[in-house]
Amino acid sequence: MKDFAPPAEALRPPTVSEARLLSVLDTAADGIIVIDEHARILIFNKACETMFGLSAAEAVGQNVKLVMPTQYARDHDAYVGSYISTGVKKIIGIGREVQGLHADGTVFPLELSVGEAATPDGRQFIGILRDLRPRKESEQRLADLQSELVHLARVSAIDEMGAAIAHELNQPLTALMLYLQAIRRAHSRGVDIVTVLGDILDKAAGEAERAGHIIQRMRQFVEKRDPERHVRPLDPLIDEAIDLTLLGQRHRIRIDRQPGVDLPPVSVDPVQIQQIVVNLVRNAIEAAAGVADPAIRIRTRASESSVVLEVQDNGPGIAPEALPKLFEAFASSKRRGMGLGLAISRTIAQNHGGDLLVDPGGNGSGACFSLVLPAAAMPDEVG
Amino acid sequence: MRVHVVEDDAGVSDSLALILRNIGHSVVSHRDAESLFKGPLPEAGDAVIVDLSLPGISGAHLVRWLLNLAAPPRVVVITGQSQGFIDHQLRGLVPDGVMRKPLDVDAIAGVLPAP
Repeated sequence: MKDFAPPAEALRPPTVSEARLLSVLDTAADGIIVIDEHARILIFNKACETMFGLSAAEAVGQNVKLVMPTQYARDHDAYVGSYISTGVKKIIGIGREVQGLHADGTVFPLELSVGEAATPDGRQFIGILRDLRPRKESEQRLADLQSELVHLARVSAIDEMGAAIAHELNQPLTALMLYLQAIRRAHSRGVDIVTVLGDILDKAAGEAERAGHIIQRMRQFVEKRDPERHVRPLDPLIDEAIDLTLLGQRHRIRIDRQPGVDLPPVSVDPVQIQQIVVNLVRNAIEAAAGVADPAIRIRTRASESSVVLEVQDNGPGIAPEALPKLFEAFASSKRRGMGLGLAISRTIAQNHGGDLLVDPGGNGSGACFSLVLPAAAMPDEVG
Repeated sequence: MRVHVVEDDAGVSDSLALILRNIGHSVVSHRDAESLFKGPLPEAGDAVIVDLSLPGISGAHLVRWLLNLAAPPRVVVITGQSQGFIDHQLRGLVPDGVMRKPLDVDAIAGVLPAP
């Protein structure tokens, strides 16, 4: 009891209602601090003792700045003073995320809601505090898991494209080996190839470089990295992703690429956006594979404050019964793959403040997927 | 006697032509089946090296057409694709050779007529 009572009244036994109040305060899972008009701590409950590593005896009577990091502490008196003189509420009745200072110097996030009471002893402010660390930790864990899953889907896409990529690598390797065999042959037969040797070696080196580029492009795509944001024009990212998707494709598809004019940049994780493009283009190629003249239209355009990428195929469209589960994970109608592509793509789009939409087509027109991303407001705002 | 190379990959086509000329062959390069059809047709003493994955008319179609000629040339298939793909494409077709990429030039030379 002495823990909560103002020092001046420490010797007076509490009344029944006071005792009840004190017991309620002690039982509360949230931290509760009551201060007076001068920001002096009147009440500091048990949850606060744990939260800040201070006993009530140490806290009561002190300015509440005691449990605030320097930045907040500096401004707090001014806030209280400003409210008392102007009556403009900055936090009272609103609640917000602030930072607390533990006795050991740790600064941690807190959710703070403040109420106000007029008492015979003057105006008092009641703060209810919740340590946000457990919530932040679970949010972080969720974000980590999601990023793992996004990466997993990317690795899976490359895995599914493995045979095609092996074929694509085989071309420069074949050429490289033939150039080397030609030199070897001429050399072992004593043929004078001095005049053309430099040219052949240049070509051989060019082929080795080509193989290196393919591996580099793949590696950039599958490498595990933390999510990031960069302000970038969208079209070059899309073109790179199309190149990656078409690695080792067996040609017979027409790609009609229509880049946008004067598109604003977007603030994106470039690899994640390319992951969406790879997924959409692969799906489109697959959807159009059965028609006589398979073709895909890939268009970018500005729309109000967004940038839109459309991937339209000329396949049969999406069956109405497949539509409700289209964006669900593991609901793929395909034999290969994990069925994560569209689910992950939509998650990525939404994490970017955008969305992934579909026009299912049918009746002679193919499906059209639209990736909508908000235009970046200021190119130098995010880095 | 001529060796026709039908291969859309510029690097593979160029290096293959180089080494075949090196061996003493007269080489004509085509980037697809369509361009082969535009020139004089391969004769019985010629050889045609066909990449299985061609743009436009497929490699398998070209192989079938060549083997059905009254006096077919030697036909050698080259490919970087999987065995499953090769089997599927070549159902019922028996070319003179099937070579997987990367290519061994001695193996190809063994199937071609002597220059």
